[in-house]
Amino acid sequence: MAELSKDIVGRKMEPFTFTVERGKVKEFLNAIGETNAIYHDVNAAKAAGYADTPIPLTFQTAFTFWGYGDKFWSDLDSFGIDTKRLLHMKEEYTYLEPIYPGTTVSCQVEVIDVKVGKMNMVTFKNTYSDGKGKIFIEAEMAIVIRPEGM
Amino acid sequence: MNKIKFADYNEGQDIPELRVGPIKQMDLVRYAGASGDFNPIHNDVEFAKSAGLPGTIAHGMYIMALMGRQVTNWAPPTQVKFFGVKFKGMSLPGETMVFTGKIKKKKEENGDKLLMVSLTAANDKGEVKVSGDLTVKAE
Repeated sequence: MAELSKDIVGRKMEPFTFTVERGKVKEFLNAIGETNAIYHDVNAAKAAGYADTPIPLTFQTAFTFWGYGDKFWSDLDSFGIDTKRLLHMKEEYTYLEPIYPGTTVSCQVEVIDVKVGKMNMVTFKNTYSDGKGKIFIEAEMAIVIRPEGM
Repeated sequence: MNKIKFADYNEGQDIPELRVGPIKQMDLVRYAGASGDFNPIHNDVEFAKSAGLPGTIAHGMYIMALMGRQVTNWAPPTQVKFFGVKFKGMSLPGETMVFTGKIKKKKEENGDKLLMVSLTAANDKGEVKVSGDLTVKAE
């Protein structure tokens, strides 16, 4: 495995797309115990003023894992990140436009910061857009790699 | 679901809390499938121990998702402009999580009326696992 270094700042994963399907959203809602009707029922959502059922606040995490799949882990490996020792440190979402079922979201993951030291840290920026310039969500994710023995 | 109105809230005011748990291994299996995060530290005890962990640990994103439930039990998702968390500790199967939040600051910026909310997820012994920041655009 490559050794982690600041050289990976600016490295991008390959762009990918994820189409938001109602069934996949429902599976996520059920997994987190979300029962709020606006997420489940189009009529309830419309009555509350939404164009359709909105996705829950963190559903976009599935875009990467399902849209990019195991390549996410092998890319981390190729960046010099020991995925066995990886812990999630920070996750931030800036919501610009709502995402509804049927939307195909274009996704791009980029390394924006690396700190090498006692604890190694890597920060990624994920941009979720319509692929034509309209950004739905901007995300930042930071991970820490536990040193051996911790 | 009622819209959040700026005039209805004061700094220091709590938002409604949410309790979830105890977290079961099955919850993590379901979350893994739904999110697509199959990192075995969340679903394979032997693997987790070989990685130096006490056992399987909850996905940080599962706890964030539960925090998101707390948030939109209170505020419509379209009023949420920013939601960010820092993971402070591992959440383990068997733990019950308590999600609380407080209006930290009210401010008007570029004509927007914003409520800045600090969020906390702790186990029922009060050990903080996740801290969060939320910005709600109020009416």
